[in-house]
Order: sequence, then C-alpha cells, then structure tokens
Amino acid sequence: MTIELEATGIVKRYGPLVANDHVDLSVLRGEVHAVMGENGAGKSTLMSILYGMQQPDAGRIVLRGAEMHYRSALDAIGAGMGMVHQAFKLFNSLTVWENVVYGMEPTRFGFIDRREAARRVAALAERYRLQVDPNAVVGRLSVGVRQRVEILKALYRDARVLILDEPTAVLTPQERDGLFDIIRYLTADDRTILFVTHKLHEVMAITDRVTVLRDSKVVDRMVTSETSAREIIRAMTGRAVNLTVEKSPANPGAVVLEARGLTVATDGGKPVVDRVDLAIRAGEIVGIAGVAGNGQTELIEALTGLRISDGGTVSIHGTDVTALDVERHRDAGLAYIPEDRATTGTALAASAADNLAMGFQRKPPLSNGSLLDRNAVTSHAKTLIERFGVKIGSEQLAVGTLSGGNLQKVVVARELSHRAPLLIAEQPTRGVDVGAIEFIHGQLVAERDRGGAVLLVSAELTEILALADRVLVMFDGRILAELPAAEADEETLGLLMAGRVRDAHLTDGTEAA
Amino acid sequence: MSERSVRTTRLPQIPAVPLAIGIGILIGGLLVLASGGDPIAAYREILIGALAPANWPNTLNWAVPLVGMTLVAALPLRGGMVNLGGDGQLVIGGLVAALAALYLPLPGPLLITASILCAMIASGLYASLAAWGETRFGIPMLISTLLLSYPAIGVASYLVGFPLRDMATGLAQTRMIPDAARLPVISGPLNIGLILMIVVAIAVVFYDRRTVGGYELRMRGLNAKFAGYGGVRLASQQVRVMFASGAIAGLVGAILVLGSLYRYQDGALLTPGYTWSGLMAALLAGGAPLGAIAAGLFFAGLQTGGFAMQRETAIPRVLTMVLQAVIILFLAIRHGVGRKSS
Repeated sequence: MTIELEATGIVKRYGPLVANDHVDLSVLRGEVHAVMGENGAGKSTLMSILYGMQQPDAGRIVLRGAEMHYRSALDAIGAGMGMVHQAFKLFNSLTVWENVVYGMEPTRFGFIDRREAARRVAALAERYRLQVDPNAVVGRLSVGVRQRVEILKALYRDARVLILDEPTAVLTPQERDGLFDIIRYLTADDRTILFVTHKLHEVMAITDRVTVLRDSKVVDRMVTSETSAREIIRAMTGRAVNLTVEKSPANPGAVVLEARGLTVATDGGKPVVDRVDLAIRAGEIVGIAGVAGNGQTELIEALTGLRISDGGTVSIHGTDVTALDVERHRDAGLAYIPEDRATTGTALAASAADNLAMGFQRKPPLSNGSLLDRNAVTSHAKTLIERFGVKIGSEQLAVGTLSGGNLQKVVVARELSHRAPLLIAEQPTRGVDVGAIEFIHGQLVAERDRGGAVLLVSAELTEILALADRVLVMFDGRILAELPAAEADEETLGLLMAGRVRDAHLTDGTEAA
Repeated sequence: MSERSVRTTRLPQIPAVPLAIGIGILIGGLLVLASGGDPIAAYREILIGALAPANWPNTLNWAVPLVGMTLVAALPLRGGMVNLGGDGQLVIGGLVAALAALYLPLPGPLLITASILCAMIASGLYASLAAWGETRFGIPMLISTLLLSYPAIGVASYLVGFPLRDMATGLAQTRMIPDAARLPVISGPLNIGLILMIVVAIAVVFYDRRTVGGYELRMRGLNAKFAGYGGVRLASQQVRVMFASGAIAGLVGAILVLGSLYRYQDGALLTPGYTWSGLMAALLAGGAPLGAIAAGLFFAGLQTGGFAMQRETAIPRVLTMVLQAVIILFLAIRHGVGRKSS
C-alpha cells in the first residue's frame, strides 16, 4: 500500500509548552488510522497542523508525495484535506445543499445554480450512502445527520484525507454504527480517515492502525488487529488500567432526592424538561442516559437550584427546596459535580486553595461564619490535593494551568469532601484521560457504598453501564424509561435514547412512560 | 478556552504598570515640548508640588476624596461589577450631610456623626437601587448606575438653586453649616476626614483578604457562575456590595461638605472629577483594593503636583489628566494584545 500522508519531525511550541515534540505520523492510502492519547497529549495540535490551521515550528508534511506548506486551512482543503470538527461549523438556518456548496457554488450566468447545486449534493450523498435530504434546513436535523452534512462538505471539496475529531461523542450507538458504515464506504473509495478519539472499543471496531501520543510524543504505533485495548491503554497511560468498575450489589435505603412533575419551559416552545418524576435513594447510583441536548442539562439545573423550574417540586433529604437558591440546596444536602468544570466548576484564575474552599467558606473549620481562617483554607486544600492525587505544584497556584483530568479531580475532590447525602455528578469524566476516569469511577462507587445517593448523568453509555444500579433514559425532555442495570445493555439503551420505545423490547417489570 | 480566560484576567503584572507610567511620562513630555515648554521643569514642579514635605498636607487632602472614590469603584469591580454612578452618590452624600447638619437639632459630635451616617445611608440606598434594578428587572448596572447620576445631580441642583438656596449670596448653595457640625481640623487643610478614610481603606483591605464576604466577592469577580454554583447568593451580594460602595461615596461627599466646603455648593463636588480619577485608579489595579489605594494616591499626587506646576510654570494642569489617560490607555492596550495572541 502507498503512503497517503506523512508527517515527520513535527514540533509545535506554545511559549514554554511543547505541544508536539518531533511527532512522526505515517498514514496509508485507504486506511482508517486512529490517533489516540490522553488529554493534552498533543492530538488536537497535530490535527490542526495537518489541517493547516496552525503552522509547525519544525517538521515536514508530505501529502501524496509532495511536500506541503500550508498558510491556512484553505491551502490544506485545496490539497485534499477535510476535517469534521467536534463542534460542527454549519449555518443552522440554511439548507443542507447551501451549507455544502458554500464558498464553491456552481453558477449559471453569475447566479447560483440552485438546481445544479442540489443535484450535485444529492448525487454525492447517494454515492457514499449518506442519507440526507439536500433541501432540509440544517437546524431541524438531528446531530447525526448534521455530522453527515459536515462529511458531505469535505467530500464536495474532494477531500482525500478526512480528519474526524471525536466524531462519536454526540451520537447514539445506532448513529455511531451508521457513521462506521459511511467510513467503510469512504475507505473502499480509497479515501483515508484519521480518527481522533478517546474511545477504545471504537478504535478496536473500525480502525486499521493506531498511533498513540503521550506527553507530546509518539510512544507507540500498532496494527489494530494485532493489539488489544489493554495494550493501547498501557501505551496511552504508561500503565495497565482497570477498565471495569468493581462494585458490589447496591443496598438502597431511604429516598434522598425526589422530584415530582418537574417542568422547565421555554419561550413559546414545548418544555425542555417535561413533568419529570424521579426518586434517588441512599446507597444507589442512578444513571440518566440520553443523547446530549434532551433536557438533561436543564433537569440538573432545576434539581440543583441553578434554575427556577416552571412547575413541579423538588425535595432533598426531606426538605422542600423547590424555588430555593443553590445555597439552600447545598444546606439541605446537595453536592454537585457540574458538567463544565472550566466555566462552572472552578474559577480558573483563582488558586487551588480558593477553589477547594468554595462551599465550605461559611462553616467551621474554614471560618466562623464571617472571618476566614487562612491556615484552615490552606490545610483543607493540601489534604484534598494529597488525598485525590491532584498534580499541582502548590495549593496557591491558579488551577487554570491544570490539565482536564487534574482540574476535574479538583472539582470531584471538593464535592466529595462535603460527604453530602446527595451527589449529582454530571458528565464526571467527559474529556478526562483514562487514568482519571478509573479514579473518579472508583470514588463514585465509594460514595455510594458510604451510603450516599448518587445521580449520574452521562452521555457515555459505557459509564452508565459500568456504574449505575438503575438507569433512567431521557428523551425529548421526558424520562422515557426506567430499567434496572441488569436489563440495560447498549442495544436497548441506544434504541431508547433514540426515542424508539417499541423497538427496545422492554421485558416485563420495566416501566416505559 | 481555558488558557484564554486565564490570560485575560487582570492580575496586576508588575512590569506592565511602570511601563505604562513611563510611556505616559514620555508622551506627556513630548506634548510639553511640542507646545514650547520645558518638560524637565514641568515634571520637577509636579514632583515638588506633590512630594515636598511642605506640600504633603495638600496632597493628602486631595487624596482623601480621590482614594475614597477609588474604593467606591474598586469594591464592586473586585466582584466584576461596575459602579459608574459615583457622581450621583457623591452629590447625594454631600447634600444629605449638609441638610442634616443644618436642620438636625443635635449637639456637636452627635451632629457630625448623624450627618455622616445619614449621608452614607442615603448614598448607599441610591447605589443599591441600581443593583436591585439589575437583579430584579435585568437592567444592566453599567447603564443604570450612570443614568441614575443625572436625576440625582439635577434634583440636588434644583434644591440648592431654589427652595434651599442661601439668599445672602448670589450662588446656588445652601447656608453655611453651624460650627458644631464641622469636622475637627488636624492641621492646615487636614481634618478628621483623613482618619475616617484611612479606617475605611483598612476595612476594605481587611474585608477583601480575611472575611467570607471578601472571598465570595473575589470568587464572583473571577467567575460569577462558579460563585453561584458554589452557593453564593449573587443577587443579595450585589445589593450589599453596591450599598457599601455607595455608602463610601456618601462618606466622601460628607467629608467634603463638613470638612472643607462647610456648605453644599452646586457643582463643587463634581468639578474636580474624583469619581472618574477614582474609577481609573481602580481599573489600573483591576479592583484589587491595596493596588487601587496605591493608584489613587499616585493620581492624587499627580493632580496636586499639577496645581503646583500650573502656578510655577506656564503649563496648564490639564497635562496631568493627559498623563492619567495615557497610562490607562497603555494598560488597556496590554490587555487587548494579550487577548488577541491567545
């Protein structure tokens, strides 16, 4: 097989930080090549260099035998590179074909030839079996279909090498399988795929070869069929990692969190959270599964007091906290790991000590209610940093310099140390490396075994399946189904997450709303 | 994203401030040179006027209201809020202090205390009105604080121009306040207003560093969403902080009226521009109280020196305002550049 894309000796520095340290990458024509690594290993930097968005400080890029010097992404696109970003770059108010041809419109007498444009897009979609209606408005399409539009955009510009950056993060398992089919059609046409991901089982399922980055360097190159998930993890982290979570059966106690008819309305539209009932007991982990954007975020905001709900009641540990502020939710027994550690969970410019003190500042030992005891703040921080293994030079340093996993540990450490009756953990391991995932999962199980009620929201099915004792599936603002962990598998949950209750073949004893 | 938000936070970076001051002095010097003056002489007069021991009382006397108004701006700024209504709050404080001193039937020290407290409460309430408007109705405080100044100034002007006017003079001003209501003099122009302001400054620094409220305000300034998530009650915090900020402005107004003007005079509190110099000093330090106080003292020295320079040379004192503006502009450029390169 011939080499399609070769990068040699790529170096990229940001001030004192070396993001890519003499990285070599060799990709064969027509293969699916995985680029793996923990957060901050240098994957994103490498991809943005290959796509012309960043210029390397040293190194060569050779595409189909010719050396490339990109000044911008436009040069790379012209040379046959395409990229589907994690956050789509689409005009939601325009149609599919308008999005696809944007910037390269077929014209007739100086005007856009709409019919020709739609025809070409339809032909392209047909050829690679991307099921898309060219005349549909993008804003009304599901996430999976929007991703196909992004792929069409790249194909319309005749991309020979397609970079997919964490493409499955927003997809249901069924949509993911659809994407894998598309990838197979593309490679059959001798197109090359660079697949950036965290998810091991996807690498095992679809890729031909793997390049692993660690600490800005390439540490290993493997042929997928000759390696195992364990070996890849070892290469990524430098050690063997426990993929499954050890836990004993749950021993649920009294109800700690109860919501009745909880509703969050939108202006004019239908409710984002629609009459949700739930009850979480002490000593159990309840998982909420669902594709991102089905009301989970708003539900959690309403449960934690960050948002005033438009109907229904919430009680924590017997206290009615409906319409009360966050502080009174916390007083009633809430600890909360928010979805976004950088914008909600921490103040990046504040020190680790200040970040870890939040929520403890009004009570002894950190204060007497009005005066802070600075020694207590410092020793509180030192204890948590040590107990949770946060890698930071000093508790006085700003947390903005920490990697994603370490920053998440700061949030997890603070919230768990409340030893509150209720813990709400929202996407607790999103964008976190394998080592930190293992640690955080262990902590959540320990919290449950201590007798805490844990509500876990995750878009990651493997996480739900590994941790939850009971699973609620959220779709379109409603709790669509509730099933015990024993009956939850990827197939069933996937169908439910797509709203297809009937296809899910729920057995007796499970509730479908 | 995380790197960007770290880089644009206004942590006082030591080299940037002297650099901006240096550039300001250079540009100011070139301006003097271009208009045919002697920059060396100009700066010498500023230095002598501000720092020669004989001139300390003048500088300090100027610093009391200026540092006061610096704290007025710095306190909300620490929590990421902007109080542009210093002028209105200052005027209300001055007027209420004058009226209390004129009309309250109280003996000496009690009269002073009561006048000051009335001024602080009135200004504090007026400032918290803007905060309440934002928390209750979503009116941005950046706009409402500024706009609320105009009715305050206008009504005060009307009151001293007509119903409360001192008919013995031709000016829009109240009668002189009784001797019992005047602040005791320390020496020369200095009165106990200086001590009051030192106490307030220490209290603000202490609040910022050692109290739960100061911690919560700082966290709000660094990330308001984080503070809210952590259980800080943002709405009541905003009202409380704005009350304190306005109360300090009221104190400044009271000190000026009871300590040096001895009456409320239309426009007299606003002409020196304490509010805006104070706001600039607070911005210079990014709201950090100690830095803001230092910047306020620096501006006070610069402006007092400006008066001396105007007396001794032909160069108008507006030069010092140019210096102030250039320094702030260069600091702003530094922030702007940092944002672009990330």
